[in-house]
Amino acid sequence: MQFLLILSFSCRDTLRVVAEGPTILPVFFKNFSQKAETALSATLGQKLPASNPVREALNTYLQLAGIEAGYGYFAPNVPAGYRLVFELQYPDGRVEYELPSVSSAAAGLRIAGLLDSIGRTPYDALREILVRTLAQSVWREHPDVESVRAILGSSRLPTAREFKEGKRESYEFLYAYDFSLDNAPAKTNHH
Amino acid sequence: MQSVKTRLFGFLFPPSTDTWLAVLRVGLGLQVTIYSLSLRSDWISLLSGTARKVAEALLSLESHFVPRLGWFVASAAQLGIHEEAVLFLAWACLLAVGCGLVVGVASRFSAIAAWFLHLCAAKTGGFVSYGMDNFLTIGLFYLMLSPLPDRYSLDWRLRKSQPKDPQLLGFWRRVLQLHLSIIYFFSGLTKCLGAGWWNGSSVWRALIRPPFNIVDPEILVRWKYLFPVAGIFISLLEITCPFFIWNSKTRKIWLICICAMHVGIGVTMGMYLFALIMIVLNVAAFGPGLMRTEHARISFRPHEIIL
Repeated sequence: MQFLLILSFSCRDTLRVVAEGPTILPVFFKNFSQKAETALSATLGQKLPASNPVREALNTYLQLAGIEAGYGYFAPNVPAGYRLVFELQYPDGRVEYELPSVSSAAAGLRIAGLLDSIGRTPYDALREILVRTLAQSVWREHPDVESVRAILGSSRLPTAREFKEGKRESYEFLYAYDFSLDNAPAKTNHH
Repeated sequence: MQSVKTRLFGFLFPPSTDTWLAVLRVGLGLQVTIYSLSLRSDWISLLSGTARKVAEALLSLESHFVPRLGWFVASAAQLGIHEEAVLFLAWACLLAVGCGLVVGVASRFSAIAAWFLHLCAAKTGGFVSYGMDNFLTIGLFYLMLSPLPDRYSLDWRLRKSQPKDPQLLGFWRRVLQLHLSIIYFFSGLTKCLGAGWWNGSSVWRALIRPPFNIVDPEILVRWKYLFPVAGIFISLLEITCPFFIWNSKTRKIWLICICAMHVGIGVTMGMYLFALIMIVLNVAAFGPGLMRTEHARISFRPHEIIL
């Protein structure tokens, strides 16, 4: 049973990788994978309502055993990263820039994962909550700041050839959030 | 039919010593200890406040019964204990059970507590978790179910424990071996599906992508002709692992290559905790008995002993 579950969820995530692409497989496989992934997810009870006891029992076991996801790390391709910059505006008109900071390299890896979650989530409200959480920690370190603007960008990595020609990592603006002391909802600017 | 059943039983329950279990216990104990120490300054900021509440709310959409630190925070709040105190206590307990696993004190209790506390932290910090947490959950899950204590633990010396059933020891080792085989097969398969692993661009991108950019790209770019070779090598090494790691003639070379790959990931990308957990799991599953290859064949034949 354990191995059926591991195999099934690994297959489902691999089908999802093919369906979402891009992969080296022809387009035919993309369409097939979409249908197969939907069918497999339904078989595994993942299309049942969240409150369904069968789905909840299965999900509980999967999470306890650590087998709820597949193993396609950095695959099929290495995705772009994200960067969040805080623009701190002081009452005297001064402006400073800060990056989300942590004390150790181990925590730094985790913050990179958090930025990936922020960049990839399709839910605007969730993105704003997560950015606000990071903004609050910056605010705690700079209590005299009047307002904070959080700017999220996606990174574009140069190829090895481009790097040799002098091109370096660049960022594309995605979102900006303005936070002020009055705790009002952030004003959002989209790309 | 009877023959198939006997062979399957022999495959799933091969008699084994507890050396592999000692490697797993000490390795995971070290992993938990280093994990706790590496996050000591950021533990509370990563796992507290709004981020914790949002991650736990999303986890509840999956299941209400998955352990999380919010359970303890909510209970302690009723007693007037602050969130930070609860999180610090959880961190201290995790560090203590990690050390307990290393020396083998209260091995079973330490394994269960380490699995539970780490799972709580990994799920509460869902947004800041990554692959290492997933593999640590898997390792601790199998460790707590395996027949502890092993004969190298302090428990064994203090309590003068009886030897465990060799077939039960062999079964849990087999479970870990099969799980790792599936992991590498699917990891290799998904890499093979991406053009970047064939032309080397994925290796380059992985090495220069912040925060994994430990090695100066100016140095890396001089070796750009090796990236396609490295990409193809990694993809093929992983996808063929389940086929060659089971053969006594190729097991040693595959295990060495897999461990070398993880050392490489640790050194060049700064993912030392990820590297350590993968090496621990692989060495525990496939390492013991490797030196005495004449006894170390893994096959479907019953009653074959892995020493």
